Amino acid sequence: MAKPDEFKPDPPSENPKTEVDDENGDDVYEEEETEEHELDEEEDDEPEPQLRGRIPQSAVLMQQAKLQGLFQRLQTQSVPLRVHDVLIKGNTKTKDYLIESEAALFKNCTTMQQILEVSRAVNFRLQALEIFDSVKITLDSGPPELPGTSNVIVEVQEAKSPLSGEIGAYTKAEARSSTVEGTLKFKNIFGHGDLWDGSFAYGWDNLAELSAGVHFPRFRGASFPLDVRAFLLSQDWLQFSSFKERSMGLSVALLSSRNHDLVYNLGWRTLTDPSQLASRSVRMQLGHSLLSSLKYTFKVDRRNSPLRPVRGYAFAATSQIAGLAPDSRCSRFLRQEVDLRYAIPLGILNSALNLGISGGIVFPWGTGFKNLPSPLPDRFFLGGNSSPISSLGGPTTVWGYRTRGLGPTEPRRQLKSNGGDEDAADPGADFLGGDLAVTAFADLSLDFPLRWFRDRGIHGHIFASAGSLERLTQNAYKDFSLQKFVSSFRTSVGAGIVVPIQPFRLELNYYYMLKKFEHDRGKPRFGVTFSM
Amino acid sequence: MEESRDGGWTLVTRKPYFGLPTACPVCLPVYIYLKFGRCPFNLELNSSYPDSDQIPYIEGGTYVAYNNEKGGVIQQLKQDGVVDLDSEFSSLPEWVSMKAMMSSWLADAITYELWLGSGENSAKQIYYSDLPWVIGKVLFVKQVYDVKQRFHISKQNAEKKEEEIHDCAKAAYRALSAKLGEQDFLFESRPTSLDADLVGHVLFILQALPEDSVLRTAVLEHENLIRYAERHRNDILNSDPSSASASNFQPPPSAAQTSSSSKPKRKPKREKTEEEKRFQRKAKYFIGAQLAAVLLFLSLLGSSSKVDIDEDDED
Repeated sequence: MAKPDEFKPDPPSENPKTEVDDENGDDVYEEEETEEHELDEEEDDEPEPQLRGRIPQSAVLMQQAKLQGLFQRLQTQSVPLRVHDVLIKGNTKTKDYLIESEAALFKNCTTMQQILEVSRAVNFRLQALEIFDSVKITLDSGPPELPGTSNVIVEVQEAKSPLSGEIGAYTKAEARSSTVEGTLKFKNIFGHGDLWDGSFAYGWDNLAELSAGVHFPRFRGASFPLDVRAFLLSQDWLQFSSFKERSMGLSVALLSSRNHDLVYNLGWRTLTDPSQLASRSVRMQLGHSLLSSLKYTFKVDRRNSPLRPVRGYAFAATSQIAGLAPDSRCSRFLRQEVDLRYAIPLGILNSALNLGISGGIVFPWGTGFKNLPSPLPDRFFLGGNSSPISSLGGPTTVWGYRTRGLGPTEPRRQLKSNGGDEDAADPGADFLGGDLAVTAFADLSLDFPLRWFRDRGIHGHIFASAGSLERLTQNAYKDFSLQKFVSSFRTSVGAGIVVPIQPFRLELNYYYMLKKFEHDRGKPRFGVTFSM
Repeated sequence: MEESRDGGWTLVTRKPYFGLPTACPVCLPVYIYLKFGRCPFNLELNSSYPDSDQIPYIEGGTYVAYNNEKGGVIQQLKQDGVVDLDSEFSSLPEWVSMKAMMSSWLADAITYELWLGSGENSAKQIYYSDLPWVIGKVLFVKQVYDVKQRFHISKQNAEKKEEEIHDCAKAAYRALSAKLGEQDFLFESRPTSLDADLVGHVLFILQALPEDSVLRTAVLEHENLIRYAERHRNDILNSDPSSASASNFQPPPSAAQTSSSSKPKRKPKREKTEEEKRFQRKAKYFIGAQLAAVLLFLSLLGSSSKVDIDEDDED
């Protein structure tokens, strides 16, 4: 609780002036307290020669008693106090509505304690806008004709430099995986708290993205923020599936909160095959398409830590509908992903059993949908160097299998060698992904006995995982059977060491494949996974 | 996992339009060449990749012959021994010079007319009608720019370049018309890839380009070329008894590629434009007038195709 200010000896006030937390914490308060002490002293200095020695001891004691009484009241009782008005100072560029909307919580306060709590919250929210260098909230007495009221003064200092840069690890709405990215930001150009940024990102799955966006915390008074990004994205899958994807468009985050995300994407997507080795199924999908989709994600993570969950659960569900355009020639499909994670503490050596299951399905819709294939970039692919424990992004990983290393395949184009009629070296096969994907894992983590490891969070784990992909489109669903799908599951086991390096989770593992199929890219080996 | 297909070729082209099995002027000669060669194939359509230089391509199992490799699809079919109609003529100087003329002057003329001339609407129908409007628009503008760059056309020399291209085309028509005479084919009485190129070229001009097209006007001056193209058009479209007529070639249900056999499905009837109605009336007149010549040609074609099949078997 903020320390109450000292009352000025003359005149006494029913509504004391109170400083609350500032970004500099108590120091400023102490400075100001000192200043006020100094002011008091200065004020006292002038009449001091006259008053010194004339202030009765009893008056000083009375004031101290009043002060202690106020302290006790604040601690034990509700001190009724309402906010009459919120005054904003210091904003030369920032529009008043932005600060007023963040400070709207004051209107509902009825006690001093509530006002102090709300002050902290409002201070935090204004700081989170990233457009102010400092925020100071002061309570002042209200109009004399309205007893029991106070005025809140919000004094902001706008950022001196509108330009800033940063490098970090993010997961953005339009990206399919986590990325490392560098960003340049321009702040508050139009005074609406707008943040303009340009960024370049590189993801683990051969993703490169150039984007520019703007963030409005409260666009035109709306209660939710608005994010608009224009992006140019390039992803190289030549090695795995003989195609390159280039996508450019617009992404609008319509709703973004702790548990909910709603994003609209409009993009022009082009698939090409510069190698000219693609298999037939991939050749059929090369070309241009327009993606207009709405994607909703619900996520709740009650685990104690996403890097090393020991207790708790996490659930995520993502629904995407594409084809939201008056033009029927755009890409149309429905996509659903579900993730569930559960961590059970075992009580010994900080051990825990982590269980997880993920599933996903994609299917086209529209005229003749039964005969249409699902878009290649939107199918599910399993494999890669990320751990399924941290990520909640649908079925993506089976430990031990390389990127896009399992599932349906098709032979690539065979070239004749330069010499004669004999065929050239085997070009391999394209991984086509699946319309239905299910993965599951079990992971037992435990601390090492040595304290050195425990202090650094380094621990060991033993794990098992399984996963499978299946085609459903182009009438393949007629041949689908649960028994056949279950028998197509690949399984792997392993053990390793986990090194948490905030915000990453580094695993050094040994994998062993219990069950794999002919073209799967996975074999007993040591490997590293890196996830966040 | 899909099994590779043994036997059976699939020709991937752009969509049918204007009463042609494929309205793309680059794809149509390949289609006709395979028909001339009596090579059975399935026809698949690709409407989502109009700016690809790989299309048309032919595939069979893991074998693929792209148009942007080794001189084109027809050249690869000859080299790989699939269909070779030029074995006896490809070394003749006359054949070589005509081939060069067709692949340069006439090909340039079609490209110019389609993208910079009066064939703009035809181009949009052929290449972009199955793509979303925005994408089609941008790709069209990009293609027009690329063609201008290819021909080095600027505001100052646009008229001169146009005149140059048309003059070359007219000269080519005169030469080809003189060479053809009243024969059924350009060389002896058997089809070659030159015939496939010329028939495809003339049919495209007659059926896909508007009436005010300069190329169309130039071709119409050579009646023997018209008769020659119409004669082979009927044969090509009617050669497979199970195939439907040209007007029933269907665009795919979506922009994605779909597969169809040589017997395309019927689509729901759509409203015909005035241009198409006029084409159909003229086609009826031609068919009526050429009935006797067609019967004679069929009997001649029967004997020449027997020779081709024997050559293919040897290959």
